[in-house]
Amino acid sequence: MNATSKRIVTFLWTVLWASLALHSPSTAQTTRGADIAVVVNADTPVADLSLSEVRKVLLGERQYWNSKLPVVLLIRAPAARERDVVLRVIYQMSEAQFKQYWVAKIFRAEAASPPRIVYSNDMQYELLTALPGSIAFVDSRNMRPGVKLLRVDGHVPGDKDYPLR
Amino acid sequence: MRRRLPVLVMMILGANFVRAQSPPPLDQTEQIKILLERVQQLEKRVAELETKAPAAPAPAAVSAANAAAAAKPEMAEPAPPPGPVHQHESAESQATVRQMEAHYPSLQIRGFGDVDFSTTDQKGTTSGFNLGQLDLHLASALSRKVTYFGELTFNAQPTGYTVEVERSIIRYDYNDYFKLSFGRYHTPIGYWNTAFHHGAWLQTTISRPDFVRFGGTFIPVHFLGLLAEGNIPSGGAGLSYNVGVGNGRGSMISRPGDAGDNNNNRAWVANLYSRPTRLYGLQMGISVYRDKITLPVVKPTGNEFREWISAAHIVWAKENPEFLAEFANVNHRNILTNAITNNQAYYAQIAYRLPWLEKTLKPYYRFEHTHTPLSEQIFTNQDLVESILGLRYDITNYASFKGEYRNTKRLPTEPRVNGAFFQTDFTF
Repeated sequence: MNATSKRIVTFLWTVLWASLALHSPSTAQTTRGADIAVVVNADTPVADLSLSEVRKVLLGERQYWNSKLPVVLLIRAPAARERDVVLRVIYQMSEAQFKQYWVAKIFRAEAASPPRIVYSNDMQYELLTALPGSIAFVDSRNMRPGVKLLRVDGHVPGDKDYPLR
Repeated sequence: MRRRLPVLVMMILGANFVRAQSPPPLDQTEQIKILLERVQQLEKRVAELETKAPAAPAPAAVSAANAAAAAKPEMAEPAPPPGPVHQHESAESQATVRQMEAHYPSLQIRGFGDVDFSTTDQKGTTSGFNLGQLDLHLASALSRKVTYFGELTFNAQPTGYTVEVERSIIRYDYNDYFKLSFGRYHTPIGYWNTAFHHGAWLQTTISRPDFVRFGGTFIPVHFLGLLAEGNIPSGGAGLSYNVGVGNGRGSMISRPGDAGDNNNNRAWVANLYSRPTRLYGLQMGISVYRDKITLPVVKPTGNEFREWISAAHIVWAKENPEFLAEFANVNHRNILTNAITNNQAYYAQIAYRLPWLEKTLKPYYRFEHTHTPLSEQIFTNQDLVESILGLRYDITNYASFKGEYRNTKRLPTEPRVNGAFFQTDFTF
């Protein structure tokens, strides 16, 4: 390989790596967000849940707070950070697995409907205040009055050992 | 060489340009995330402004109103209604809440389907395509605590199609610990029979294990009667139960007595399983089933038998890896002669969702074995030793393609059969 060929090969590699580097997802865009708070309708008779209890609620294995009050699951639409954290920490599923899980759950006659999808924080808070038994996951920086914040494993958002982040 | 190099450079730059024009989905996801965060910030800002807006002009408005009221107290009017913007927002908010509230009856319909191709080296068989079951599933909440579930299948036959009511269940939920239902179920024996039902898309493999196959006789796949189910307060053990009473096997033992029982004995079934909270993904369980079988043909040795089925399962339901194993023993006792036979079947299946290609590939392997003794009084011979090696490819979130190699041996006197099976299945 003569000097010209080497230069050309070096140039090609440079172009190739530059193109990959330019179009790879920017690491600057992925910043660590705030803790995700578990909030329920203010009249829900629960104040503290373990992470495994939260998981049971989200998996539809616990469907009633008590015999008169069904659980109403509210989950943010795909791409929201709250949903990412819920899927990663609680469900431990990918988006596809999550969808398949609920199709199967209803097909097994274990639940009548999947979680309700909410598209914004405003919508989430409106539903939390309006629907008895509702439970949702919100960015702890956007907490608003009128709903009840649940402790998870005895911790609140901001605690060192808080699990939902 | 020198002529080709500029072309190569142009191709790389061109590809680069094309990539810039159509960024990969990961970038889009990031952009959506940023936009969603921006929407949230704006929502927060709007909320702040809404709370501040009435406060700012308040002193002037209040003082003006007070002055007017003081001058003409009889003309004091109630505060003006909120402006059109507030009315619009409030109406929108109410509409959203109304939409998301539960409405009764609500009906959800979901369908499942599959198309298959098979070829084997077994003499006398033909290769070719066949249409799998077209399956419609209905779920309807009738009230906060009453729900209906139905499942209908359309099955291709040489002369047309048959329609079958696979499940038809009405359930009353008292709470998480007690749910009572009536109807036609998949019998809660073991794991597979109640986990996957008729939608092939839900299961990793193309087919069900032989001892729980539809139309098979080894275990009663369907059950008509009543069923109580729920969680058992058991802390970290995560215990749940199903207990049912029903007609049991009909005159044709692969079917339940849909149109009425063929004897005065009710079958019963009990299933106890655990999902330990510390081992998320693990399920272990045991089941028992008791029935009296009355065959339509009376032989000198009688036509009535007691049936005991005992089964156990252990499942790791996550996909890295996925592991399923079940065992069932079917005991038959002739009521007249007291002759007893035992039939056993088991399978073990392992699969692993590969981390590449957006986790769309899932190779799997299953081994299954069924043994029916020569002295068996009810079943025809169901002996089987089978290995299945396959690959599932998820085309989308709701459709998959599967390919399998099977090596099957039925009776000791028969040769091994090798086969290739393909399926595309989906839900809609």
